[in-house]
Parts: sequence; structure tokens; C-alpha cells
Amino acid sequence: MIRVEGLSKVFRRPRTFSGPFGTVRTLFTRQYEEKLAVDDVSFEIDEGEIVGYLGPNGAGKSTTIKMLTGILTPTGGSIEVNGLVPWRERTANARNVGVVFGQRSQLWWDLPLIESLRLVGALYDVRHFDKALSKVREILGLDGFLDTPVRQLSLGQRMRGDLAAAVLYEPPLLYLDEPTVGLDVLAKEAVREFIVETNRSGRTTVMLTTHDLADVEALCKRIILIDHGKVLFDGAIDALVNQPRRLVVELESGTRTYDIHDDLPGMVATIAAEHTIRDLSIVEPDLESVIKGIYAR
Amino acid sequence: MTRIGLRLALAYRSNIVFMMVTLVAQVFLLRMIWTAVYGARTEAAGITLPQLLAYLTLANLQVFAMNTQVSRIISHRIRTGTVFFDLARPVGFMRQMTAFQAGNTLGGLLLLLPVVPVVLLVGSITAPAHLPGYVVTLVLGYAITVELALLISLIGFWTLETVWVAVLFRLVSQFFAGTMVPLAFFPGFLGALADVLPFKYMGYVPAGVYIGHITELVPTVLGELAWAAGLALLLQLIWSRAHRRVVIQGG
Repeated sequence: MIRVEGLSKVFRRPRTFSGPFGTVRTLFTRQYEEKLAVDDVSFEIDEGEIVGYLGPNGAGKSTTIKMLTGILTPTGGSIEVNGLVPWRERTANARNVGVVFGQRSQLWWDLPLIESLRLVGALYDVRHFDKALSKVREILGLDGFLDTPVRQLSLGQRMRGDLAAAVLYEPPLLYLDEPTVGLDVLAKEAVREFIVETNRSGRTTVMLTTHDLADVEALCKRIILIDHGKVLFDGAIDALVNQPRRLVVELESGTRTYDIHDDLPGMVATIAAEHTIRDLSIVEPDLESVIKGIYAR
Repeated sequence: MTRIGLRLALAYRSNIVFMMVTLVAQVFLLRMIWTAVYGARTEAAGITLPQLLAYLTLANLQVFAMNTQVSRIISHRIRTGTVFFDLARPVGFMRQMTAFQAGNTLGGLLLLLPVVPVVLLVGSITAPAHLPGYVVTLVLGYAITVELALLISLIGFWTLETVWVAVLFRLVSQFFAGTMVPLAFFPGFLGALADVLPFKYMGYVPAGVYIGHITELVPTVLGELAWAAGLALLLQLIWSRAHRRVVIQGG
């Protein structure tokens, strides 16, 4: 479904000056600074996968997504999405792709939600609009607020509206960039259920960017970790988390950590025989600390 | 997109209604002033007082009806980054924005319609000297207005901030459209400048045709067509540069 090879993107921006007349100098400067936002990224995503595309702020996630939608042209490398080169065949690619940016909304702020959905229907030539609408209306529970101006919606309702706009024309591919940001527990749950449902019923491929690892644990089998524009890890979550539990023991001489293999009581007995144990605890491997460990490398 | 523009015009109706009060007041004041200026004279620069009053009423109505929102919308979408969604659509950005403006104008006209009799009453109107000529020059004038507005808003892809450009544009375009003083009264250099600028097509030209002040229809319409076509070309050129900037710089 998605094939990315050696992808890179360099931004060239006028150098910014500080101090008096800084803005004017910035406007007329011929000096540029280059920033490598995406650096030799390669990965493949198969049809029907839900992949977590993770990384700290400014790691290059959104830039990758913008290149996958065809809005940005790559500086180097190649991309293929559903058989198309996004930046070259932008219009055809646009029909294959639905996008949600949690931090921004594609809905028209001052108009009832239904108007934005009608617009999407018109722009993407959705033939049976009413049928498509009733489908998303049902799974996203839009009934109470279709005729409410978007600015009056709660964040959870707005996000459901944005999801509806992204899937109305049934694209085979969804890019979700922080779709649960700022939502309460129940609303997050609703968004996750929707993603699972869309993925299962339509074999929709999902690329998910999020800072909430609970989203990742609930939805993704596989993650791609990037930082400073480079891929740090690509593989199954199971493999990452599948590490031994650890025993943390506080001794008189300080704190020590041991990997637990099988005989925990035996381990404790051995340690106790040699030292005086003040306290002990067992640490389960979890995604957050594993990922922190990878970033720290 | 046309529908969105229409709906937005209706959503902001209180805003438009408020502006209509200004329109009525302006037409009324212009009538008072120009009647006083003419005094006992029957005509100046080949325009009689009834013709002039009809001209002022029409020119102000036209410029009001042609007031464009598209620059404001585009600048807002660039600053908030929502322009990303417009660019990700399978329909071109310029086409979307033109459709938006068309709908927005239509919505504005729906709101303006009931006020037209009031404006005509407060101002003054005569029978048209050449109705088809008026309609043609008016429609082409509208096309030019929208093209200019789109052109202005594309600056936002370079500078992000376009509010000052929009204010300046509004001031200059209203003056050179001849809404206060017909272009025929502009002295020497100013008259020549007003004549080479395209703003006259928003007010002076169609209203001048209506009252029979402008009689050479063919060269007028040809000139207008040339402007419309030239601006369309320029728009394409600048848009492709703006778009290239977006795809390479990330906006």
C-alpha cells in the first residue's frame, strides 16, 4: 500500500535576523539556512495494517505525512502510495487518502457540521451522498449535532466530525495525526473504536501519529519510531515489550536491578543470603520506558 | 464550495446588514454634496445632475455588491494552516476559491436585494441608456474584481500577513473605481492614472455605460476582456509559483 524508500526532505528558509530591523533584513536576505526534516527514511506498509508512526515533536512525522499526501515534494528518495507517486499524481492520490489533523480542523467553523460534509461530498464526487452520510452518521454518532455550527461543538464532537469528513469518500488509506489529542477518556475510546471498526470493515490502512501510547497499545501491532528525521525502530510492538521483568532491590549499599528469568524466589533468597534487603519491587516492561530508552540512545 | 460561500454570507448577515446602513448613508451624503456642488448648473463634463446622481447610486451599489471576502478567507486559512486541507483536495485551490467567492457574492446579493429600492430612493436612478452594455461591462468588471482579490491574497503565501495589503487595496480600489467622484472629473495626471488602472471596471465603467456617458462600447468591452484575460494569465503564473513555494518550503 505504501512504499517509501530513502525519503528525505530539506527545507530551505531565509535566515532570520534578530535585533533592530531584524524583520526587514530577514525579508531581503539572500542567506538561507537548510534544515533536514526527513533523512533517508524507508518503510513499507501493507494493506489493512494499522501502523503507529511515532516520534517526539519536530521529529519529521508531519513532514512525512505531507509528502505522502502529495502536498510536499520530496528532496530525495521515492514514495509510492497505492501505486501512485503522490506529488506527481496529486489529484488521483487525494481521492485515495483521508487525513485528520487533531490540532487543526478541516470543518468550516461558522457553519453547521453538515455543510462541511456536503462540501467533502462535492469535492470528492461522492455519488450517493445520503447513503455515505448515513453510514458515517451511524458509526460516529453524529445525529445530535449535524446541524450545529462547528464552533459550538465540544472537542470530542468536532473530532468525530473531522473523522467523518476524512472517511466519507471511503479512502483506502487514512493518515491520522494525533486524533485523540485533548480528548477525555470516553471520547478517546470512541475514536479508537472507530479506527478499529474502519480498519476491519473496509480493510482501510491506517497510519497513526500520536503521543498517547495507550492509543498505540490499543490499535497498533507495529510501530515505526523516528527522531531527527531518521527511523530508529520499525517492527512489532510485541518484540519491543517482550523483555524480561526486572527486580529492583534496595540494599544497604544502594539500589540494584536484576533481570528476572524464572526462579524469582530463588533469586531473592540468593540476594538475601548475601545482603540485607530494605525494599524490593518488580518492574513490568512497558512501551513508554522502552521507547524512552530508544530515544535516549 | 459555492454553497459554503453562500452559507457563510448568510451566516454573517448581521455584518452585511450593518454595512448596508453605511451604503445607504454614503449614497445619501453623496447626493446632498453633489446637488450642492452643481447648484444652478445643469451639467459638468457632459454629465447632467440626474445622470450624475444615478451614476453615484449605481457605482456605490456595484462596488458594495462586488465586495470580496475571498482574500480574508485565504489569508485566514494560510495563517491557521487549514490551507493544508484545501491543497489536499482533488480539486485545484484556485477553482475552490473562485467557487467560494461566486457563492459568497450570490449570498450577498440575496441580502442586498431588498435594500436596493431603498438605495435607489435615497439616491436617484434614471432609465438605462444601454442595458445590454451595462450587463456585459458589469459581469466582466466582476470577473476582474475577483481576479484582483485572488491575486492580492496570493501574497499571503510569501508574507503570511496580508491585512495591510487588503486595507490598502480596498482604499485604492474604491477611490479609483470612482465611487465618490466620477473618473471624468479627475484632473490630468490623476485621470490618466485612473484610466490605466483596472479599478474603473468595478464602478465607473459599467455605471458610465448605464447613464450613457460612455458610448464607445466596443473598445470598452475589448479593453475589459483584455484585462480579464491578462489577469487570468498572471494569476496562473503567480499561483504556480506560490504552489511551488508551498510544495518545496512547506508553506
